[in-house]
Amino acid sequence: MSPAYTPMGSGPRWSIRREGRDEPPDHCAPVRFKSGRDGTVSLTLEPAEVELLRDVPEQLRRLYESDSDDPARERLFPRAYLDPTEEGSEEQWQAVVYPELLRDRLEGLDRLVGALDRGRSIRGRRIEVDLPPDEVNVWLAVLNDARLAFGTRLGVSDDTDIYRFVPDDPLALEKAAYAWLTTLQGALVETMLGTLPD
Amino acid sequence: MSRLTTAPLEVEEPEVVEVSLTDKPWIVVVWNDPVNLMSYVVFVLQKLFGYSREKATRLMLEVHQDGKAVVSDGSREKCEADVARLHAHGLWATMEHPS
Repeated sequence: MSPAYTPMGSGPRWSIRREGRDEPPDHCAPVRFKSGRDGTVSLTLEPAEVELLRDVPEQLRRLYESDSDDPARERLFPRAYLDPTEEGSEEQWQAVVYPELLRDRLEGLDRLVGALDRGRSIRGRRIEVDLPPDEVNVWLAVLNDARLAFGTRLGVSDDTDIYRFVPDDPLALEKAAYAWLTTLQGALVETMLGTLPD
Repeated sequence: MSRLTTAPLEVEEPEVVEVSLTDKPWIVVVWNDPVNLMSYVVFVLQKLFGYSREKATRLMLEVHQDGKAVVSDGSREKCEADVARLHAHGLWATMEHPS
């Protein structure tokens, strides 16, 4: 598992981004958002962040709907029965559960895109997206799938420092995207944990 | 178990007791992976199973440190449903029947 590199919530409203400067858009940038105690979140997204978040559903849709034995796909749809002699039960389980898991995942992608479409433009190129708690849960599921898929492709291990970049790494952009999605997911998890009993 | 010799013939064997003595529950295991956030695993365990923050955190740390942890148990059907819910949340879960 990976530790969340996000500060703990220090009240109903907090911001991770350093304030006071208009920083250039960057996949590496921290996340700027406000959250309420009920789990409502208001996200402020840079154009590059919106672009990344719109690219995620497209990539995941292709992966969900592919028939390949891509390891990333196998990670998203693992088997249930550990015992290989339970193959009959596994096939029955897959027959019932797989269509539901696939349908819910595809619906989640549509809902994330819908939330981005509803975003309000602020100060020109940024957008602000309001998410009620049930939408935050949908975003968490999509972000987690994206990180599972991209993390599998990038070969992320327990020893990987996802926030350390080597400039001439050909995968630097993908790694930066993974790091930013991790920061965003971590922040949304902290918000939702705040709605559950201690 | 011995049958009472004075019991009328119509009385059936106490099947429920027999079943509970021989049928161990199935268990659901969550496995460690390098991607899932520790905080997210705690959140999912609390959300799906209604566990306290303390119990969910203890199970998460067990997964992280030992590579796996039993997060729920019960009938085959219950465990199949639990595994499906865990997979929907991206946790790597399997079920097994301890022999």
